Amino acid sequence: MALLTLTTVLMATLGLGWLLQWLPARGQPKPTYPQRAPFLGGGSPDTHAWNRYHIRYYPMTLLLIAFEMEMMFMYPWAVVFVEKGAMAVMEMGMFLAILSVGIVYAWREGVFRWQ
Amino acid sequence: MILDQLILPWLLAWLMVGLGAYLVAVLDRLLATGSARDGSVWLAPLASAAWLMTQQATTTEAPDAPAWRLAPALYLALAATGLALVPWSPTLVGVDLATSLVLWGSLEALATVVIFLHGWSANAHLALIGAYRYVALGLSYLLISMFVLIGVALPAESLRLTEVVAAQTSLWHVVSQPLGLPLFLMVGLGLTFWGPLDLADSTDLSGGTAVERSGPPRLVWALARAAMLVAFSAIAATAFLGGWLGPWLPGPAWLLIKSLAVLVALLWLGRRLPRFAPERCVTLMWVVLLPLSFIDLIWAGAVALWMA
Repeated sequence: MALLTLTTVLMATLGLGWLLQWLPARGQPKPTYPQRAPFLGGGSPDTHAWNRYHIRYYPMTLLLIAFEMEMMFMYPWAVVFVEKGAMAVMEMGMFLAILSVGIVYAWREGVFRWQ
Repeated sequence: MILDQLILPWLLAWLMVGLGAYLVAVLDRLLATGSARDGSVWLAPLASAAWLMTQQATTTEAPDAPAWRLAPALYLALAATGLALVPWSPTLVGVDLATSLVLWGSLEALATVVIFLHGWSANAHLALIGAYRYVALGLSYLLISMFVLIGVALPAESLRLTEVVAAQTSLWHVVSQPLGLPLFLMVGLGLTFWGPLDLADSTDLSGGTAVERSGPPRLVWALARAAMLVAFSAIAATAFLGGWLGPWLPGPAWLLIKSLAVLVALLWLGRRLPRFAPERCVTLMWVVLLPLSFIDLIWAGAVALWMA
């Protein structure tokens, strides 16, 4: 029931946001071609914006995936943490220590410099 | 049953979206000008909203039109869903989900997708640069947010926000986990790309992801951003400032006061801190703030075991 309610809140607000955009602008004519040229500070675009683009920070996104997988284990771990005590601390400490070595290595390799 | 489980969460969420976004606009203006001597400070946000509603919605030559419409609406929907999770008192809770902390985390992660979509779907260069910048920021603050929130879940032995509040009866987490709230505030500025972390819609990109936006869609985008700031403040007040806990006043009043305090702090930081350089932002998040969030988690774990 809780998830159903949340879904209805999500969908209803989505509909509201869409209506707020659509209702006031529904009768408007389409803007002219000069008006529809993307703003480039005075220049005119000669390509699509959707070109091949080198995302310089992509190694960082790979590092994130390693940590995101770790988060998946961390949620149930948080619930039993107090009950398990020192054992839970050691287990997650070891896991985090290994992942931290990854951060240090990535830092040394210049992953976070993004140039 | 329909009334408390279906209508009430809607009312709470929409009331907070509307009033909260209005309040964000008023407070930000007051913080910017320093005084209310301009008598229109209460009316100005309403006037500019009404003006945007009557303006033409421009478009670009070849946008991804459905996605471009979807992005602001979905960002608003994420904010409303977050607001529906907030517990106002032990009994007055929009949706008392057993995993509300996890759900809030997933909303933060989805926000990255939505903001990228907003910049991408315009098919304009400056908007797309804003979107790519935002992804770098969004993927960097996500882990800090998760570690800080896990720290809050440890003493509660639960991922339910009401139990997180109940665990703060003797001591609020802002005291027992001193690193948590400052780190979480940084996450809030990133989530709404506000002030120092406004990399997506910054002025050096003449508006970034919103550069091609005008009229009603621009209004919805601004509304969604402000609503997300309000949702974040309410969650931060719940997780770190003891939510509904407090003497004399009823629970909902305390939550309102605390959320307002977090909101003002965020808006003040947004006005006072200079904007970070995008390429330094990633280093700052991973090399400085992420290790700090590890320390926060270890600290939270030690305190939770010691107090148990």
